[in-house]
Amino acid sequence: MLSFRRIFLLIAAVTSAVSAKSSTGDSVLVVVEPSRQNDYSIFFNGLKEKGYELTFRAPKEEKPVIIQDDVPSFAHVILFASETKNFAKDITPQSLVELLSLKTNLIIALSTKQTPLSSLAAEFSIVLPPPGTPLVSYFPERSEPPSVIPIAPDSSSSILSKDIHPVWFSGVPMSLGNNPLLFPILRAPAESFAAEVDGGSADALVDSAEKGGEGLWAGSQLSVVTGFQALGGARVTWVGGVELFSDEYAKKEVSKSVESGNKKFASDIATWTFQETLVLRIDRTEHHLVNATSPKEHYTTGDEVEFAAYISKFNPKTGKWDPCACRKDIQLDFTMLDPHVRTALPPVPGAPGKYGTAFRVPDRHGVFKFVIDYKRKGWTHLHSSTTVPVVPPRHDGYPRFLSAAWPYYAGAISTSVAFLLFSALWLAGDVREMKKSKGKSE
Amino acid sequence: MAPKSSAPTQQTTAIQTLWKAYNEQTSDRLKFIDAFLFFLMLSGIVQFLYCILVTNFPFNAFLAGFSSTVGQFVLTASLRSQVNPENKNEFKEVSPERAFADFALGSIVLHFFVYNFLG
Repeated sequence: MLSFRRIFLLIAAVTSAVSAKSSTGDSVLVVVEPSRQNDYSIFFNGLKEKGYELTFRAPKEEKPVIIQDDVPSFAHVILFASETKNFAKDITPQSLVELLSLKTNLIIALSTKQTPLSSLAAEFSIVLPPPGTPLVSYFPERSEPPSVIPIAPDSSSSILSKDIHPVWFSGVPMSLGNNPLLFPILRAPAESFAAEVDGGSADALVDSAEKGGEGLWAGSQLSVVTGFQALGGARVTWVGGVELFSDEYAKKEVSKSVESGNKKFASDIATWTFQETLVLRIDRTEHHLVNATSPKEHYTTGDEVEFAAYISKFNPKTGKWDPCACRKDIQLDFTMLDPHVRTALPPVPGAPGKYGTAFRVPDRHGVFKFVIDYKRKGWTHLHSSTTVPVVPPRHDGYPRFLSAAWPYYAGAISTSVAFLLFSALWLAGDVREMKKSKGKSE
Repeated sequence: MAPKSSAPTQQTTAIQTLWKAYNEQTSDRLKFIDAFLFFLMLSGIVQFLYCILVTNFPFNAFLAGFSSTVGQFVLTASLRSQVNPENKNEFKEVSPERAFADFALGSIVLHFFVYNFLG
């Protein structure tokens, strides 16, 4: 019996070590030229070790299709065929956008050549330089050509792990439009610029720089690796050059006996893109009156209401959702068209994963909503909306007779009393007159 | 019942003449009604001033109190015109008793609504 349990535990341990730690699925489609497949073996083996099931496909192969019967066949898609001009007919910019709305994550590598993917980039408000103009930098002094650049990652990025060595990069820079869902993961160095060293024309570069303003194609406002998180939660990473993932760059030394950060960087990008890290969800929300436990069907204007949300974060190590008190800047809105109340929703001390606040319902009745709308770059967008009606107090829920209105009450009462007196006197007068007239006639 | 200038020789102002004529020519019943009307008018003015100068909150109480005086004034004024002997030709079919019954019924209905609206 004991040994049986041991075997069971062993099997469980083995399976849990094999299963991938993405919150959305293990299957990955890699679109890559078969001849170049082995150039990225370190990156692919890293993914396989984590437990992803990689399926390779040449760009012009028909199978396996990425979307079958409106259902995506893979949880994640890697497009490394950055120089391919003609893809199989199921890989189009439109189908890739559809994949995003079907919550499939994408890693897309670009190149200096004009391909269908370059036109897709424009849909994400990523502006690419004209064809044939990669990023070059003459600093720091090195033996490599100027278009092969070591870039030190930003250590404050929440996507990348700390202390990554500089990353070798060669490819196109991207200028980011003002799409709020777009954010740079790796910025170009300050001394770098786009130049027509790869067969591009200087005139085209000047033209496009004039369109975007002076300095469009130079400096650290350019991005070379860019993240994008769709409203549905799917994540896309745009990489300016596919060589960043290559074995050659992973093994290449940045300086003497310092290994480049490419391997770690590539793995971090994949970790984020495949929704292993920075993945949050709202498990449930609750609302009730202060000092009550069960929710009310409707609230009255002026009620003191407590709202709580339970938020958990995906833990890639265990594959489970753990309660997370990690966010300090969540806000709660109490809205009817406009937010009538907007308040912080801080983590409740002593209750992991619970975020709660209490507020007074505004003096306005109507159909209100408790809204959490949390969008932070890199983190899963959180959205929750709970509708509750707010009603005015019941007829016995507030004082009916106010001292300020006594003149009006006195007016109404005196009119009635005067009416009664008037009627009584009038009738009495009638009787008297009748007596009088009777006395006259007699 | 426009008062005729019965004494042109007296050196009095028009208002005094009017007041005198009213006192002399109006029956006691009509004077009684007029006193009631005067009271209602004062009450209405006081409430209206209170509303303007102090507060109109709660507004329903103001509406109830003010409209009770106005409504009562209208009903009483119609009673006055119907029981006035000089208007006998106008209201041939309405006896003074019938007029008072109409007045009383109308007033009771009015007060019913006023008290519903007051609180």
